[in-house]
Amino acid sequence: MSEDHHNPTPPSPIEQRVAALEELLTERGYVPEGFIEDVNRAYENDIGPMNGAKVVARAWTDPEYKARLLTDGTAAIAELGFGGPEGHYMKVVENTADVHNVVVCTLCSCYPWPVLGLPPKWYKDAPYRSRMVREPRALLAEMGCPLDDDVEIRVWDSSADARYLVLPARPGGTEGLSEDELVGLVTRDSMIGVARL
Amino acid sequence: MTDLLDVDGPAAPPRSNGELVFDAPWEARVFGLAAAVVETRFDGDREPFRQRLIAAIAADPERPYWESWAVALEDLVTTTGLLPTGAVDAAVAGRNPSHS
Repeated sequence: MSEDHHNPTPPSPIEQRVAALEELLTERGYVPEGFIEDVNRAYENDIGPMNGAKVVARAWTDPEYKARLLTDGTAAIAELGFGGPEGHYMKVVENTADVHNVVVCTLCSCYPWPVLGLPPKWYKDAPYRSRMVREPRALLAEMGCPLDDDVEIRVWDSSADARYLVLPARPGGTEGLSEDELVGLVTRDSMIGVARL
Repeated sequence: MTDLLDVDGPAAPPRSNGELVFDAPWEARVFGLAAAVVETRFDGDREPFRQRLIAAIAADPERPYWESWAVALEDLVTTTGLLPTGAVDAAVAGRNPSHS
């Protein structure tokens, strides 16, 4: 899914324009040193997919929490302090060896914002929204998540009434890791269900 | 820190990101740049920027969100006199002398 090619092509017009704007505004003292980095870090860490990753890591390490999470996602997620607009009714669906869950919003782009941050662009695109319903196995394979034919795929359609979060299966070989270390393993895509860990 | 992002409505964010929030580094830069200007020059009042963002999106709904964001920021800083009109064009030309 990465669009970060690190290729040597020259900067696009918009990149050049933004760089020029940054230079001019910085020269005039409107951009405190480190400010942009701080803002980006805050968004990435505080309201990005980190919140969802914490929920997942807690569920992996605390069976009672996991049971509560699968029964009442909204309440269990609120236990960790997350919630608010666009996360008010959360349903958590668990991946197992036999079942793979994936989330889509066929109508628009409903997304569990408080736990996953800002949705990726492809989530909102028509091809994802239609094909994930019509041919999920083929689309998942194209997105780098091939599944064996005997794995059942369940596609969940998010709406204003229910937002879904996938609880990915805990990767093998992680028994010795702490909850904090496990958080670092959980990716956004795995919580949408377009990747397995 | 001022929260610049609407949750929904006409100025709501892109619903576009790389592994975390943005598709390309410049998008993260221009986002932080607007946050800096709002903080240092508008006392944290995001409304002047937000209105320009809404207008920029409305002016060209097909344009990628962060490009509209950049247009809105440029409009904000030139119409409020923080940068002289044409300064960005001149700086872009200066960065790129081989292009006419």
